[in-house]
Amino acid sequence: MAPNDNDSRLATQQDFELLVSRYYSTLYQFAFSLTRKEDDAVDLTQQTFYTWARKGHQLRDASKVKTWLFTTLYHEFLEKRRRQVRFPHHELSEVNQDLPNIAPATVNELDSDTVLQSLARLDDTFQAPVALFYLEEHSYKEIADILGIPLGTVKSRISRGISQLQRILTHDPGPYSAPRRRPTHG
Amino acid sequence: MDSNLAKEILLRYRPGTADADDPEFVEALEQAKLDPELARWFAANQAFHITIRDRFRQLPVPAGLKEGILAGYRPAVIPVWWQQPAFQTLAAAAGIVLLISVALFWSQPREGTDFAAFQSRVVRNAQRGYAMDITTTNLGEIRQYLARQGAHADYVLPAPLEKLPGDGGAILRWRNRTVSMVCFDLGNHNDLFLFVASRADLPEAPSTSEPQFTSIGKLTAASWSRGDRTYVLAGAGDEQFIRRYLSP
Repeated sequence: MAPNDNDSRLATQQDFELLVSRYYSTLYQFAFSLTRKEDDAVDLTQQTFYTWARKGHQLRDASKVKTWLFTTLYHEFLEKRRRQVRFPHHELSEVNQDLPNIAPATVNELDSDTVLQSLARLDDTFQAPVALFYLEEHSYKEIADILGIPLGTVKSRISRGISQLQRILTHDPGPYSAPRRRPTHG
Repeated sequence: MDSNLAKEILLRYRPGTADADDPEFVEALEQAKLDPELARWFAANQAFHITIRDRFRQLPVPAGLKEGILAGYRPAVIPVWWQQPAFQTLAAAAGIVLLISVALFWSQPREGTDFAAFQSRVVRNAQRGYAMDITTTNLGEIRQYLARQGAHADYVLPAPLEKLPGDGGAILRWRNRTVSMVCFDLGNHNDLFLFVASRADLPEAPSTSEPQFTSIGKLTAASWSRGDRTYVLAGAGDEQFIRRYLSP
């Protein structure tokens, strides 16, 4: 007997539940690293899945679902913040070779709050690449696809971002103490 | 490779991931074996990464998030009835009707291949539901993809469209001719659709770069020609809305 419309809809809903179960945690963590607010991160995560429910059928390559979800979430984040925040652009020097030495004792003392606060203090340019780096869900190429920037730029931003993170955690202002983002005037 | 360069590369080394076998990492790891100071720094750096990664993954996910997402799920209405087995019998019957129609078609004067028919077909296709061949926000990647497939990729975008993020692209067919489709993401789940065809393939296509407007279903379409190409830009809005994306 051929499946009817209800069967088809049930299968679609089961697929959706499977997708949510698999990715909602990491998507939320990525969203939180961008927004730093629980409510905003929850909204972004939910919106990403609802966008999938509406437009996901357009994706022909099923192996790219995960990258599609992260790309969509990042895109939603940029869209929401576009009218609120000006992204200052800073020309950054190459990665400083004199990287801070992180003592093992210092590393062991780090708790989640400290790490998240430190990630939040990263320059805007570095936050998403560094968050995706530590989530370890994507290759560098996939990170480049998600952020819509060249592979070489991804590598550079990750290196610079990690360097800045290490300096923040060692209370060393270093070369990347760029001003924080400012609200748009008017 | 010297130790400074190796350090810069190893700064972003993630063991056990898809990138770990990248030749640049392999070479940098070899350098670490030769330089004890680099090796000590690398060990400390890896410990740092593991700690940050673990703390990051410990970020608690709000209770009820998953249930909240599932509760808000509304299945999309997707016109893919031809893929459902229940319609296969109907499809067979439709095939017979189609054969009759084809016979009638060839016995009648040829259907017009005018520009209006083309424009109506591609814009209605966008409204009915379509599949993209590539999904990316990067307009350059969409153009490169179309070029690789032999589709029209030499199109000239109006300046406002250049500033929009892409949503994806696809290659359509019209009278056995190729049509490139580029989708732009306007946010809030709205898209703009740009269709690019060869001007020579479209009798009665607009002769100038001055856009002509028409409503097709729920969308408004602007069409114009430039060089050897004819363009159709369609979106959900009125003429004023579409004009915003045609000139600065």
